[in-house]
Amino acid sequence: MKRASALSLHCPAHSRCVAPARHALAAFLRALEFDRHLLEDVTTAAGEALANIVEHAYADGGDEADGRYLELTAEFDGSGTLAVDVADGGSFIARHSLPGRGFGLRIIRTIAQRLTIDTAAGTRLRMVFECKS
Amino acid sequence: MTDTEAIKIVQFKGELEIGRKGEIHDALAAVHDARAILVDLAEVSYADSIALTELLRFCVKAQREERPVALLIQTPQFARLIQYAGLASSFKVFAQNAEALEYLQTSIRS
Repeated sequence: MKRASALSLHCPAHSRCVAPARHALAAFLRALEFDRHLLEDVTTAAGEALANIVEHAYADGGDEADGRYLELTAEFDGSGTLAVDVADGGSFIARHSLPGRGFGLRIIRTIAQRLTIDTAAGTRLRMVFECKS
Repeated sequence: MTDTEAIKIVQFKGELEIGRKGEIHDALAAVHDARAILVDLAEVSYADSIALTELLRFCVKAQREERPVALLIQTPQFARLIQYAGLASSFKVFAQNAEALEYLQTSIRS
C-alpha cells in the first residue's frame, strides 16, 4: 500500500452490476497490497452501499438509459487513507427506521472509520478507511 | 424417521448477494417444513445484508414454529458480517458440520 491510486466506475443501477463493481474494487485493493481482512471489510461496506442503490434508490426500477446509474470511486492517498464513494441519482431513504431493515448502513458504520451521506443531488456515501499498519 | 432423516440440509456456494435474493428465498422455502434445518454456508465466499435478511426472516419463522436451524459458516467475511450487523445472537452459528448436526439432533430430541 505505497502509492496514491484511484478507481472510478459508472454502471447501470442493476443487480447484475453490483458484483462486478465489487470485484473491481477488490482487484484495486489487491493491487495496493491491502491485507485480506481489510480488503474484505472494505468490499463488504462498498457492496452494501451498492446493493442499497439497486434496492432502494430508484424505487420504480429502470436502467442507465433512464438515467439510473451507480458510481463507485476509490482513492488511496498513498499514506494510509482510503476513501470510497458510492453514488446514485436517486432518492435516499433512511431504512434503519424500519424493523428488520437497515443492516446495510449498520454494517457500513461499523466498518468505516468515517461515513458521510450527501443527499444534495442524488445520494453519495463517502466511506473513509484508515489503513495504517 | 431417524434424527438424521429429520434434518434437511440446504447448501449455498459462492457469493450470496443481491443478484441471488430470489434463489436464496426459494431454496430456504423448499425446506421450511423440515423438523430441523442445517443451512450449509461453508463455501460461501461473500455475503451481503440482503442474504443475511433472507436468512434472518427464515430463522425467525422457523424459531416461531419450533424448528431448530443451524448455520454452518467457515468463511471469515460471513462470520464478521453477522457481527457487524449486530445479529450474533439471532443465529445458531457453527464452524464444524458435526457440531451443527449434534445441536440439531439434540434440539429435536428435547
